[in-house]
Amino acid sequence: MSTVETRARGFIMPLAQMSGNIPRLALRLIGLALLDAFAVWFLYLLIRDGVWPLVVIITIVTLGLNIINLREDLFPLRWLSPGLTLLIMMALYPIIFTIYTAFTNYSDGHLLTKLQVIHLLAKEHYLPEGAQTYSWVAYRGSQGDYILWLTSKDGENLLAVQGEPVKAVSPDEDEFGPLDEEGIPVSFEGYRRLTRIDAVKYISELGKIEFGEEPNTIKISSLDAAAQYQQRYVYDDDLDAIIDRAKEIVYSADNVNGAFTSSEGASLLPGYQVPTGLKNFKRLFTSPALRGPFAMVFMWTVAFAFFSVATTFALGLFLALIFDDPQLKGRKIIRSLLIIPYAIPGVIGILIWRGMLNPHLGVVSTTMKDIIGWAPPWLSNAWWSKIAILLVNLWLGYPYMMLITSGALQAIPHDLYEAARVDGATAWQRFWNITLPLLLVSVGPLLIASFTFNFNNFNVIYLFNEGGPPIPATPTPAGHTDILISYTYRLAFAGHRGSDYGYAAAITIVIFLLVSLITIFNFRYTRIWEEISESV
Amino acid sequence: MSKKLWMLVSFMLIAVLVITACAPKPTPTPVPVVEKTEAPVVPTATKPPEIVETEPPVAAQLTIWADETRAPIIEALGAAFFETYGVEIVVEQYGFGDIRDNLKIAGPAGEGPDIIIGAHDWLGELVINGLLAPIDLGDKEELFVASAVEAFKYEGVLYGLPYAIENVAFFRNPDLVPNAPTTWDEVAQIAADLEAAGTVTQGYVLQQGDPYHFFPIMTAFGGYVFGLDEQGYNPQDVGIDSPGSIAAATWLDTMVKEGHLTPDIDWDTMHVMFENGSSAMFITGPWSLNRLRESGIPYAISNIPSGPGGEGRPFLGVQGFMVSAFSDAPLLAQTFLLEFVATEETMQELYEAGGRASAYLPVLDATEDADLAAFGEAGKNGLPMPAIPEMSAVWTAWGDAVTIIFQQQQAPDEAFMNAAEQIRTAIAGGQ
Repeated sequence: MSTVETRARGFIMPLAQMSGNIPRLALRLIGLALLDAFAVWFLYLLIRDGVWPLVVIITIVTLGLNIINLREDLFPLRWLSPGLTLLIMMALYPIIFTIYTAFTNYSDGHLLTKLQVIHLLAKEHYLPEGAQTYSWVAYRGSQGDYILWLTSKDGENLLAVQGEPVKAVSPDEDEFGPLDEEGIPVSFEGYRRLTRIDAVKYISELGKIEFGEEPNTIKISSLDAAAQYQQRYVYDDDLDAIIDRAKEIVYSADNVNGAFTSSEGASLLPGYQVPTGLKNFKRLFTSPALRGPFAMVFMWTVAFAFFSVATTFALGLFLALIFDDPQLKGRKIIRSLLIIPYAIPGVIGILIWRGMLNPHLGVVSTTMKDIIGWAPPWLSNAWWSKIAILLVNLWLGYPYMMLITSGALQAIPHDLYEAARVDGATAWQRFWNITLPLLLVSVGPLLIASFTFNFNNFNVIYLFNEGGPPIPATPTPAGHTDILISYTYRLAFAGHRGSDYGYAAAITIVIFLLVSLITIFNFRYTRIWEEISESV
Repeated sequence: MSKKLWMLVSFMLIAVLVITACAPKPTPTPVPVVEKTEAPVVPTATKPPEIVETEPPVAAQLTIWADETRAPIIEALGAAFFETYGVEIVVEQYGFGDIRDNLKIAGPAGEGPDIIIGAHDWLGELVINGLLAPIDLGDKEELFVASAVEAFKYEGVLYGLPYAIENVAFFRNPDLVPNAPTTWDEVAQIAADLEAAGTVTQGYVLQQGDPYHFFPIMTAFGGYVFGLDEQGYNPQDVGIDSPGSIAAATWLDTMVKEGHLTPDIDWDTMHVMFENGSSAMFITGPWSLNRLRESGIPYAISNIPSGPGGEGRPFLGVQGFMVSAFSDAPLLAQTFLLEFVATEETMQELYEAGGRASAYLPVLDATEDADLAAFGEAGKNGLPMPAIPEMSAVWTAWGDAVTIIFQQQQAPDEAFMNAAEQIRTAIAGGQ
């Protein structure tokens, strides 16, 4: 069948087929129309705000959903489409956005787009030298237009009618009619004088109006003042520059660094987002942070992840083996109790441990002091704090390992043990040659996942001791228990000017590559176990 | 049939979920960006609109982000404001610290508030991101504590209307230390005597690695963080390794070496030790008052002891109202603040709810709370906490240096010189 025919079939056949299923088709089309309407409305909002990456993603997803639902030959995909939609929106989009951010200067001082910065600066006004400040009274017409009566400090009066040049007037003239005690006209024909309370109501509207003609326009600056304010920053399209009219300085757009900069090097605040290419990566690889404590931090990260997995697995397996024995009484209750740490939110568990290990008040430390007269400096010594963190992570992690190994133990065929027993194997030999290899085949990938998770286990490190104790004499602040991700956090969020998302994204990508390499290596290694299982 | 229907529902549901997750608060009446492109130089509405309106449309509304302590007060104010002016005040409650972070996201997206409550040391971060609009206090400026107004200025421009000031002061247990020590050497002596007599386990307690509480000691020895000139704090002049700062670090080191200060004391431990009488002196702020009053321990508040460099000067933290640069109604926002917030009644309520010295002079002068008056006294020579963004490069490095001395990992001068180097590197953007 040619492609043309397939296409034709895709569109034409269903109508014939569906003739008996009109309600079904109608429902689907209505649903699709609703979804499309929603998507269009949402796209409008996104385009208005200039969120282009999301616009592209939403468009692709909506088009995809439409095609899948309109083409009968793609109908199997319909069952996949919710999953695909979620995958694209929740997994792919953040990844793409992170990668994109790594190549920009998105950070504090560069949060806005260039257009936003131009609009923002256009709001600023200045008072030219010698310009008068006036108090004002406004009159509102029935059509929502305004007249402004201005009084200067010297008692001069100006009348500003919207759309006409401002003119000096004298209140004594007949056309103004009766005056109040301050010499301000009570009303104009067709216009209602605004009381102070009314003025508050309309002040936003009034504040947007420029009374009079260029260049002598009058603007309201507060409830009590109006003056010949001038727009300070004007964007010139041809020059791609912002002109400061108050000081007569030209700030050209520096699209490499993302800021409007004068010839003398002064930059306007705020800056804007620009793509910066490999700058963030260059900064990372030439950073003193890499020369200094990076090696120590990296080694501890690997050690932390490895020992976390090894200790939790060992304890979890040990407990699982003990409670696997059906002769043990009350094993279900004990097993349930042992799972409790898994049910307590990690954040709370970590903070409780931090309190218990506190050298002055913590129950662990005070008890140890009472019994043996000494307690380790859990939080302030480089080695003891590493041990403390591994202990806390062991407490947090063993129930998971116990659960998965308990399950995996059931899957090992019993006849293997019988055969081993017949051959006269000891319990240790049975464990070492049957249980462990077969167990690793099934839980191996989970161990690797656990390793990867711990490699980036920010919670435990940061909540327990914020990476401390600090390492002395480092070029950038770092702690003895800092792992790569908490060290990154220090570099990108605690160290420089507030939040540096671009830099953080770049570091994240590097860490991702590192973790990937380690994971690939791990998977290669675990194939050894698979070979064993095949030979069993 | 039902299967497909469910499919559709789930499509919609997912789409809605995803879409709502991405758009925190899509407003149905958006302000089109296009409108902003019109150069404001062109006079608007040269021709009156054709439609004759009978009753003026008051679409005016102000959104205010406040923390849980201030939100009820502003809500009550909002009701009064609505009654008088017909302008609706919408109060959205956030955690105090979350206000800043959320403004950074919501402001540029056009979803943000008109007014926020916040601390003056956010200024740098918010101003460099273009998130704040200047405020003009007009004639009312003289009703505010001068240092509080000063703290809300960034590069000479005022961005906030202050309502409260907070700073730390020196606390002692008057049963154990009848007279307030006036110098840090005296503190060391009293601590040594009390410890020798076995009255307390530790005479004076200081939280480990907390530069905020260490700063008053540092200033007493003549140290500083950033040099202060007419322009404000100068990020190029880092004072962590100045002779005064190192002298303070050396004093700290001696205290640790002689056993008068011990490592691993956190905020909670510091409190418990004072509350159960196992220590007699510490530095803390007004946030501790409730806790101390409840514990029933006798306490007295005095000025920070001085040292060879002069008086000990605490950091001043000022809280206030700020107007978002992305507000559609900046004039209305400012009017609300000046007409409704900067009044004696409101300021009195804010003072009573917050438990901090008021930044509004008429209320401050009428303050009867002796503890807060003592804090006010201790804060008279205070220095506003630097609001420049470079300050974020200081906290970790400086705190680590203090911790390193507590843990005796390095000599005090080396620790502080290294911290200063770390800060300079970070400010230069070299990391």
